[in-house]
Amino acid sequence: MNKQFKRSKTARLIMMVPAAGLVLAGCGEKPVEVQVFNTPDECAAYYNPPAECKAAFAEAKALHPQVAPRYANKQECETDFGIGQCESAPVLAANNTETAPQQSQQSSGFFMPMMMGFMAGQMLNRGGMASAPQQQTASAARSPVPNQPLYKSRDDRSTFRTATNTAVASQPGTTSIRPSAVQPKAGSLARRGGFGAQAARRSSSSFGG
Amino acid sequence: MKRINCNPRPGWKAFAESVGFNFHTFDGEPYWDETAYYQFSLAQIEQDLEDPTEQLHQMALDLVDDIVTSEQKLTQLAIPEPFWDAVLASWRAKEPHLYGRMDFSYNGKGPAKLLELNYDTPTSLFETGFFQWVWLEDMLMRGTLPQGADQFNSLQDKLQQAFSELNLPQPFYFASVTQSIEDKGTVDYLMDIALQAGVNCRYIQLEQLGDIDGQLVDLDGFPIQGLFKLYPWEFMLQEDFASTILTSQTQFIEPLWKCLLSNKGILPLLWQKYQGHPNLLPAFFDDGSSLQPGWLRKPLLSREGANIELLTTEGKRLTQDGPYNDNGYIRQQLAPLPKFDNNYTLIGSWVVGDSAAGIGIREDNSLITKDSSRFVPHIILD
Repeated sequence: MNKQFKRSKTARLIMMVPAAGLVLAGCGEKPVEVQVFNTPDECAAYYNPPAECKAAFAEAKALHPQVAPRYANKQECETDFGIGQCESAPVLAANNTETAPQQSQQSSGFFMPMMMGFMAGQMLNRGGMASAPQQQTASAARSPVPNQPLYKSRDDRSTFRTATNTAVASQPGTTSIRPSAVQPKAGSLARRGGFGAQAARRSSSSFGG
Repeated sequence: MKRINCNPRPGWKAFAESVGFNFHTFDGEPYWDETAYYQFSLAQIEQDLEDPTEQLHQMALDLVDDIVTSEQKLTQLAIPEPFWDAVLASWRAKEPHLYGRMDFSYNGKGPAKLLELNYDTPTSLFETGFFQWVWLEDMLMRGTLPQGADQFNSLQDKLQQAFSELNLPQPFYFASVTQSIEDKGTVDYLMDIALQAGVNCRYIQLEQLGDIDGQLVDLDGFPIQGLFKLYPWEFMLQEDFASTILTSQTQFIEPLWKCLLSNKGILPLLWQKYQGHPNLLPAFFDDGSSLQPGWLRKPLLSREGANIELLTTEGKRLTQDGPYNDNGYIRQQLAPLPKFDNNYTLIGSWVVGDSAAGIGIREDNSLITKDSSRFVPHIILD
């Protein structure tokens, strides 16, 4: 038959049909090993190459103002993180990353906890094993965990926590975590609810037509 | 073109729900209705619907050039002045568009008459592109319809092709109003198709969109670089985040210039430019005077038949209340919807990119098609 059809050749669904649905991330996620330290020197003391310790620390430090929780005033911040443990948060230019370094000098009026340590996701030599440069291949699978700053709350000074308040370790060294639990999120306070007011005002089953 | 009664497939409701079609019944009344179907000849489809759809689409696009540079026309369409430059920039940058639907009054004979363009947030997409398609395949498989029966419905194929060619920023976000399960269904369907085209899709409730220093952000505070919003531009332009639209580095689908074509003011402008075109109805901006018999009045910005007033040639007045009474109106000559049995029938004709992509049929017991109007499938058979 030589006829050209006027309808789609196939119509399949892959997401709307639960039976054939995708495996969601998070199920069966494998924990990975990371290391946490108070300082780069402490990191090096755990038989990690000092240069890599410094680099991981620098990455975490750069991420710190972007992901640290923000507070409207110093008192609220110190309630969570302790007296003298908070600093003023810089302005972030979310839509202009190129000028961010200069602007980050400028205070936003918000406060954030000081960085108290860092997580190294893609170490290095295996902690505790000073063996030579390792057979680990050059770009050996980039760790699913970004290097990031860690914090300590006022009432629990021994526990390292991520910016989103996930406790990751109670002492320096190697620890095991699920990568999805420690993905950094932007700490700036976004204004929300700026769209949708008309929908609320005009009750309707649909805002299409 | 005829209307043929038929038996619903046993168990179709359970099937509908299993594929996420949760709004097949609306306030206890059927929305998807397969107790009948419409049959067209191939010539009716190709000559009376497909070709005029593509032609009218090009005419409408040509009109955008005239509007973006005319303060008078932008004012007539009630586009807020602070956004004129942005609308112009969006058009000049050729920001790509995905889809639209035009509604026709057509009875199988003579030219289809364009009632309006739904070019910003058209819905009934899943019903047309997927559920109607499956209905035909089922009916063919059961032998209820003769082999060779076809359907004017390449909607899903064309959408998938469009998603694979649009080169969208990734991840690409889809947003709809939280309270509307119908809109969520439409967005789920589009996301499903986009996913099949290889797009990395994320859903966000429209009310959850965030703003950091003028940039739209997701729930984690990361910039949204691409956004499909099933929410009318005319609402967005008057809400708290309206100014964010001007500063955010975000590619919108539909693009901002589509607010010109989803506006009923496009109908008088089309008539001004192409007066006498066989698919157009005489239309004018409303001057507030009383309606003449055989005319109707509708708001510049409205949906689902809301706030329409019409006067039949016999002088019978029909009105439909609604929440869209806060802008100007247009008047349009009445092209009464054809009546099949006791049903008034409206044809929605889809455009994906710049191609005609199929039709969906809505039926109502009144001359005004509404969001509760039934969706009835169709076939092509000579």
